[in-house]
Amino acid sequence: MLQLFQFLLRQKTLLLFVLLEVLSLWSVFTYNDYQHTWYFNTSNQWAARILSDVEAVKTYHQLRLVNDTLASENAQLRNQIYQLRAQVQPKGEIPYFTSKASMNNYQATMAKVIVQSTALTQNYITIDKGSQDGIRAGMAVISSTGVVGKVMSCTANLSLVISVLNTNNSISAKIKSNGELGYVKWAGIQPEVVDLLDISKYKKVVRGDTVVTSDYNAVFPPNVPIGIVAQVGLKKDGNFHDVKLMLGTNFSTLKYVYIIKNALAWQQVKLNESIPKAD
Amino acid sequence: MPIKFKFRPFLTVVFCLAFQIFFLRDISIGSYAFCFIYLWPIVKAPLDVPPILFVIFAFILGWFVDIFYNTHGMHAAACLVIAFLRPSLINVLTPANGYDDRSNISLKEMSWLWYLPFVFIILLTHHLILFLLEASDTSLLWMSLFRSIFSAVLGLLVFLTFELFDKKEFV
Repeated sequence: MLQLFQFLLRQKTLLLFVLLEVLSLWSVFTYNDYQHTWYFNTSNQWAARILSDVEAVKTYHQLRLVNDTLASENAQLRNQIYQLRAQVQPKGEIPYFTSKASMNNYQATMAKVIVQSTALTQNYITIDKGSQDGIRAGMAVISSTGVVGKVMSCTANLSLVISVLNTNNSISAKIKSNGELGYVKWAGIQPEVVDLLDISKYKKVVRGDTVVTSDYNAVFPPNVPIGIVAQVGLKKDGNFHDVKLMLGTNFSTLKYVYIIKNALAWQQVKLNESIPKAD
Repeated sequence: MPIKFKFRPFLTVVFCLAFQIFFLRDISIGSYAFCFIYLWPIVKAPLDVPPILFVIFAFILGWFVDIFYNTHGMHAAACLVIAFLRPSLINVLTPANGYDDRSNISLKEMSWLWYLPFVFIILLTHHLILFLLEASDTSLLWMSLFRSIFSAVLGLLVFLTFELFDKKEFV
């Protein structure tokens, strides 16, 4: 027994090393997207506060750019108002009744980006709204120029968003002009370029096509812009197009985002569950 | 052995950590070369520091960086390995007859042939573990390897620059 203790005492560094190594690797491999809130990241209160102070200084230097983005977004919204006004149906025709619930389906909340990264292969964004502001895991996050990611976990006042620039994240997408479906995934290298996958080589894809989120998407509202086709090639296996998109969102200067709450999401999930399963 | 609190090394650690977290967090050269300045204290730690304290220190340092990088444990794992292997590496590199009176790692006291391989091996080990863990995908294997090598070279250049300005002793 004494010898055992002496042995342990002699190898204490090795033991401690193995213990801590197992602890950190356990933390790496059991970290699960939606399971629980994890406090050892930038949605931690004091970590976020320190970083937001630094970010405030950086924001000051980018005010001009932020102004430009906001101005152009205002212009876009104004255009949409005009378009909608023009679409109002003349009285007397049989109208299509949109239920009030589905008219208010998507609700947007504005949030400020506190922490972001583009250099890693798994990038996350921290925003300054949390569960107290009605944010829940699984909600979509977009910017004025395109998709950003989805909410992964929330604390009371902050949320962690899994970015499009994360090799574990993929988004159902379609080509706007002809409705071809595929999905978008980041290759892990350039923060401006993503891959559009699963587009059969017999379908038509042209450089300059706009790619948007698809209608069959549990997270994002349909027709949110993702990017523009920059390069079309053929995959090595010869069955699919190899399409590269220029992202609409500029992640390196991202300052403000919208979190989109889909009020009918739970009903959609419930309906899908009621589909009879083939035995 | 009593541990005396010294102000200068403490300041160095805090400075390296702050610089890493606030300024280098999202900076890379061509998304291949990353600079991990917070490894400077691990490279430069005195030779007589007890191994067990050094392992604990490396774990805390790595975990701190993990919190701000959203990497949940990867930096800690990589730091632990280099902290644990450092004494053995020093033994392997040091010739049987030399360096008894040394207590610091520095370019001025050691030869280039000792200093360069030492720093490079430490950085490369750390970066390999970090980038392979982070990629967690075999299709990104080559990219991770290139990233590790380029980052280690960049780190070596930065640390050599630091050595030029290192007038006083680190500890």
